[in-house]
Order: sequence, then C-alpha cells, then structure tokens
Amino acid sequence: MTIEGLLPPLDPVIHAQPRLRVTVALAALDDGDQITFPRLQEIVGMTAGNLSTHLRKLEDAGYVTVTKTHRHRTPVTYLALTRSGRRALEDYTTALRALLATPEPLLRLEDSP
Amino acid sequence: MVDIGSGSDPRLMVDVEGFSPEKSLAVIEAQHLEAIRSLRVDPVPILGMWGLAWLGGFGAFYLASPDGPGPYLATWAAGLVLGVLFAAAVAVSVQQGVWRSRGVEGPSRQVGAMYGWSWPLAFAGLYGVNLGLIHQGLPTGVAPLLWSGSSLLVVGLLYLAGGMIWTDRVQYGLGAWTLVVGAASVSAGVPGNFAVLSLAGGGGFLVACALAYARGARGRVTRAQP
Repeated sequence: MTIEGLLPPLDPVIHAQPRLRVTVALAALDDGDQITFPRLQEIVGMTAGNLSTHLRKLEDAGYVTVTKTHRHRTPVTYLALTRSGRRALEDYTTALRALLATPEPLLRLEDSP
Repeated sequence: MVDIGSGSDPRLMVDVEGFSPEKSLAVIEAQHLEAIRSLRVDPVPILGMWGLAWLGGFGAFYLASPDGPGPYLATWAAGLVLGVLFAAAVAVSVQQGVWRSRGVEGPSRQVGAMYGWSWPLAFAGLYGVNLGLIHQGLPTGVAPLLWSGSSLLVVGLLYLAGGMIWTDRVQYGLGAWTLVVGAASVSAGVPGNFAVLSLAGGGGFLVACALAYARGARGRVTRAQP
C-alpha cells in the first residue's frame, strides 16, 4: 500500500499563504456580498501591489470575481469568492485535516508483517 | 512545488517546502477570526451600553420621583441623565453597524440598513400613537405607564426580529424578556415602573451582554483547537 492516492492533493492556487488568507477572508463574507479592495486589504494586511497580484491569480483560477464599477465618479473594485473558490477552500481544509490525521500510521504499514 | 499527492513521501516534500498542515490550519484559523472580528457587529458594547443606559436613566427617574423613596434629584436632572445615556447608546449602536459594514456591498448590508432604520421608524409610530392618545384625553397618571409599556413592546419585538434575522438566541431571548418587563412595568404602577425598567430591563441587557461575551470567548477557544 502506498500513500499516493490516499492523501488528497493540495490545490496549488491557494497553497500559497497570501492567497489562502485572501480566500479565507472572502469566505467570511455572507452569501451574495462583495467587498471593496481597500477594505479587503485592511483585513488581510497586505500591500496593494501584493494583494492585486494574488487576486489576479485567484481570478484566473475562477475562484474570485472582480467587479470594477464607479461610485460618485470614483472607480471602485469589488471582490467576492465564487462558488468554486469556496469549494476549493473547503477541499483544501479537508485535505489538510486528512494530512494531519493519516501519515504516521500509513507510513508504518510498510514495516508491519 | 506543491503536488503533494504524487510524491514518494508527502511529508518529506511538504517539510522541504517549510509547510506543515498544522501551520496552514493555524493560518486559516487566524485569518478567519481576523475577518470575523472586522466584519461582524460586536453585540457586547451595544448590549452593555444599553444596559447601563436603562439602569442609570430609569434609575434616575425612580430616584427623582416624589412618590418613591426620594426624591433625591430633580426630574429635569433625571431627564438629562436618561437623554445623555440613551444618546450614547444610540451612538454606539449606529457606529458599530456603520463601521463594520463599510466597504461591503450586498444583501447583508441591505438587511442591516433595513433593520437599523426599523428602530427610528417604529419609535416614530409609537410617538404618534401615544401623543394621539394623550391628546384624546388619556389620564395624566396613566401616561408614564403607556410610555414604558409601549416602548418596551417595540424594543422587545425588534429584538425578536434581530434574533430571527441573525439566528441569535441571545437577542431573541432578550426580546422575549423585554416583553415580560414591559408588562411588569405597567403592573407596577408609578414610580415602581421605573424601578422595574431600571433593574429588570437594564439587568436583562447586562445579562445578554455577559452571554454574548461568553459566547465570543468560547468561540475563540473551540475554534483554536482543530
């Protein structure tokens, strides 16, 4: 018995810590809600450049929707987690828990008679 | 770099990357708590401030009543105490709602705004009805009981509504308790109604405040242990 196939793979898109944190922060919003860029920046504590880089990767993966609009003639960017983004976070958390729970006994299987 | 499912030993790979599931779960946990702390209205300062306002404001009216144990202070002074404390409590409530929802757009903001406006709307309606009754010749001795009974009915119902909207048992329980206190205040008569409002009404808010605080603390402890 090998470990391959038993352990769930980790989603590389949100495996990077900054993107994981952005995803977790967006998952805290209620269904149908979206948040402005500066407000999200405040919650995750990242620089604007850093945050937009990671948001672009999340958007490319289809995990985040970026809506650019105007409010009182000022451009505003709203962000929200997509359904697949939310599922990706759930799967990632499940995978981490599985990883935490299984490796030791599985590795010892090979030694057992 | 992170294709952990296909390596020969996933733990080895993740160790090389400086990754551990424990650390990642801790990152998720910390960021989740930070987001909740920033986005959710904290009921503790709201309930605490209203508890103090009822305790102090209505307590002052009880102590100012010539038919009670006092009077220990003038009625205008009691009115001033109540006015200042209630203004502070309204300010804390509005500030929480506005501050937490800034930068957020969508259904939750709409629900929050509609709920927030329900308070001035309901009290405007209550003033209209009560002033009308007084104008129609309601006996002056009964007027204070009308004010306390009807105000608590409105407050109780709005807390029931808040409990329903946010599935919050503490708010719902406080609403139910406030309805009981409203009826009791009318039965107590003047000036006993002020003592009931101060101790049972204000006390109800302070108990709800303590329950909300305990729930918050418990949430932090249980979530910290995955």
